Amino acid sequence: MGKSTSDLSRRGLLYAVAGVAGANVLGAAAWGGLELMVKGETVWHKSVCRFCGTGCGLQVAMSGGKITDVRGDELAHNKGVICVKGSMVRALPYVEGRLLTPKIRRGGQLVEASWDEAMGLVAETFKRTIAESGRDAVAFYGSGQLYTEESYTANKLFKAGIGTNNVDGNPRLCMASAANGYNSVFGKDEPPGSYEDIDHATLFFLIGANPFECHPPIFERIRRRRADNPDVRIVCVDPRRTLTAERSDLHLAPVPGTDLLLLNSMAQVICEEGLVDTAFVDKHVRFSDGQNTVDLEAFRTFLDARYRPEAVEQELGISAHQIRDVAFSFARAKATMSLWTMGINQRTQGTFLNNMLNGLHLLTGHIGRPGATPFSLTGQPNACGGVRDTGALSHQLPNGRLVANDKHRAEMEEIWKLPPGTISPKPGYDAVSLFRAMEDDRVKACLVMCTNPAQSLPSLDRYRAGMEKCFLVVAEAFADSETAKLADVLLPAALWIEKEGVMGQGERRYQLVEKLIDPPGQARSDLQILVDLAGRLGHGAVITAHTPEEVWDEWRNISARSVYNFKGMTRARLRKERGLQWPCPDESHPGTVRRYVEGDDPLVTKGAGIEFYGNKDDKRAVVYLRPYVPSPEMPTSEYPMQLTTGRVLEQWHTGTMTQPIAELRTAAGDAAIEINEQDAWRHKILEGDIVELRSRYGTMQGKARLTRSPRPGVVFAAFYDAKLLINRVVTDNVDPISKEPEYKVTAVALRKVNS
Amino acid sequence: MTLATVDVVRILGTVFCVVGIVLAFLVGRRRFSELSSEHQVSVGNARVSSAALWKILAFAGIVMMPLGSVSLANYHTFETVHEVQACGQCHVMRPMINDMHNSHSQTLAARHFRNGWIAQNQCYECHSDYGLSGGIAAKAEGYRHLARYTTHTYSEPIAYRGQFPNDNCLKCHRGKTPFEAVKSHHTVNGLLAASTMSCLSCHGMPHPSRAARTPGSPEYAELMRAADE
Repeated sequence: MGKSTSDLSRRGLLYAVAGVAGANVLGAAAWGGLELMVKGETVWHKSVCRFCGTGCGLQVAMSGGKITDVRGDELAHNKGVICVKGSMVRALPYVEGRLLTPKIRRGGQLVEASWDEAMGLVAETFKRTIAESGRDAVAFYGSGQLYTEESYTANKLFKAGIGTNNVDGNPRLCMASAANGYNSVFGKDEPPGSYEDIDHATLFFLIGANPFECHPPIFERIRRRRADNPDVRIVCVDPRRTLTAERSDLHLAPVPGTDLLLLNSMAQVICEEGLVDTAFVDKHVRFSDGQNTVDLEAFRTFLDARYRPEAVEQELGISAHQIRDVAFSFARAKATMSLWTMGINQRTQGTFLNNMLNGLHLLTGHIGRPGATPFSLTGQPNACGGVRDTGALSHQLPNGRLVANDKHRAEMEEIWKLPPGTISPKPGYDAVSLFRAMEDDRVKACLVMCTNPAQSLPSLDRYRAGMEKCFLVVAEAFADSETAKLADVLLPAALWIEKEGVMGQGERRYQLVEKLIDPPGQARSDLQILVDLAGRLGHGAVITAHTPEEVWDEWRNISARSVYNFKGMTRARLRKERGLQWPCPDESHPGTVRRYVEGDDPLVTKGAGIEFYGNKDDKRAVVYLRPYVPSPEMPTSEYPMQLTTGRVLEQWHTGTMTQPIAELRTAAGDAAIEINEQDAWRHKILEGDIVELRSRYGTMQGKARLTRSPRPGVVFAAFYDAKLLINRVVTDNVDPISKEPEYKVTAVALRKVNS
Repeated sequence: MTLATVDVVRILGTVFCVVGIVLAFLVGRRRFSELSSEHQVSVGNARVSSAALWKILAFAGIVMMPLGSVSLANYHTFETVHEVQACGQCHVMRPMINDMHNSHSQTLAARHFRNGWIAQNQCYECHSDYGLSGGIAAKAEGYRHLARYTTHTYSEPIAYRGQFPNDNCLKCHRGKTPFEAVKSHHTVNGLLAASTMSCLSCHGMPHPSRAARTPGSPEYAELMRAADE
């Protein structure tokens, strides 16, 4: 009995051990199986969105050399948030209609040619034009979408090589007033604050901006800020009840062209109510009437004489009590952040408006603290870094230097190792002047890169005729853009991740876009085209950096001789990090979130606290006395209404990149002329009727869309749709300082054509 | 006081267990050969022989009670793993849960929690795919997590493998006015359905970023604080 019990126990033990082992094996096998079943980690590549100036960080998933997915990069400044355009950027390299081979116009037709033939013709024509008509008969018209290395190289080729300052580009059409505003107030371009300020602001003053549609991740961040803090208020100033205005706490709709009245009136209230931060003003601010330094008393007198709320409310279209409300909120908020873009920049008083916006922050001390900052949003992904910072504009040289300044030219000649006197002292043609110069043969040959002026310029009929006369070389990704149709030589360009380069977005952040795929057909990067052209024109000794990395290193080292200093942004760092904000003088510097602030900005003198070092003499920022001058496009009896233009959520600029993407094209639909229901009633216009807009500059017909969005007396049209070239009607009046055209205000007559 | 199903199951399971053990013990001590088939015992209104009664008790103690306990235990496990608490057992999940309960956080999880958009079992609601197979898949994934966690074969910050299926968002949002009113939702419908375009791209991060969840980051200590603090 004892034996048998013992036998049973041993067997039992064996069974138990076997059971436990079996269970473990089963468990482990199940785990192993599950590990195999779980999808492997996708390989994601860090990149940057190709579209707007928000400059969102992306993660691009690749499989078999093709993009399979695009997501927001949670480690980038945008914290993983992108918009529907950014999500659809995955389709961009594969859309139909890409230009695959160079083309040359022969007998009125564009016919395929080899690179050698095309570039040979370009070089020969440029050489002949320079020989026959002088250096200033050729020009470069670039883009805030070229990579920094490309804009830098083009600028150097034309200014240091060819010897003409005829280098301008589409940033003149969008950010010139903001740049001039910063330059005149702070002594240097580019905003003092960052997107991060959104997380700290308690009042958002949005004027002439529609970030819900044009910079969606930024508006999402603003809304999150408000959701977290019910005291946060969003004020939106826009003649239209935009999707942004609908989501704001207060919407003020001024008469287009009058909002300098609002800003001056707010300043008047701030002074009258004792809301000026006198301690800040005494220490950091200088007042100027544009010529001479004046004092705060003179500023007050200037405002009291003309800009009391009750004196401006009729002309402005905003009631006096609302002006007082906004002025009070602006001054008394814990941290006020103003955000603006084309509604302020694309104006004949664009620079003045920018001056006053910065001025309101200086008066109230809403600058240099988390959340308190003026901040201009940018439209293009690389207008800031590529064009404004490299000085690829007709009046500029790199890092804020000016063509007209002898010392600045001499500095650049020394840096670029040029014989003294190489750089012409004569500023070149700004964008509108350049296309005017094509009309009367002052400019006979022009290289257009990465932009679509035949759709984006104002008063299109006039300038398209000029472009047809000029020998137009167009480096373009798409075969049938409006500008490509006018080209004499068409060069296929690589796009986005088909090439490598640095882009600089709205907050002084430089980000690297790495090459992930090959360009289609024979397309080449714009840098390759420029390097090739430099060689053929005999300027190989000037353009010695041939790869993006070589150009970057040259440019990075040049920046060290300025307050733009980003020497610390090596290629290796940019490959690793999610962009860096300048100033960033050495490799250990983390970049500057708040400029002019001690402890953050390495260029501020120790102990200064806040120092506006851009104005070298007194290190003070300037508040200007800027009188309101009515726009030349105020309504008249012949043109009783006003047209304003803009963008929509799903489309970007002239639509060359977004229209071929079906998901975006379908979502946006065809562009239409948006008319307030009250105006439609008076004109007996019904939804879908064909209406005509006639201005001093052109006439355009389109479908009417009835809405309550534009205030009565205002019509709106987006400019993405080549079937509705609204810019044919738009004025080419420019700001006398920034030379930026007033796209936002055109007097028009509205007429119903048929139903 | 009302009892939740889970509590009823827990009590019932314990009773089954105790009764099973007692019966098994009694049955083990009983010599069945000595039981009379004539001797009648009253069980309620019925009368059975004591042999038959013990056979029934043996069946109950050896087969029914263990089976019942195991079934109830399984049910209990399957139900309780739906709870946020269950996910919080592993400390790597703590940042997600602490963040979700943080009334100032702007992550999607925190907003859904704060606004009461998902009443209970918040982790499970978003992380179990649609349908029966989704529930099984979620549990299998939970099992995989458990294996990884107990064997320490993971590193922080943990990362989501594969693609988060949009169906988990769409099962609630699709058909609702705010979703349907957005034109581009319709034009990218195919991409959303296939989860090749993530809802999260436009609508933000569901949980704290990997950077914040990396040990040593400025936010790490706050995210890792014990859930009961």
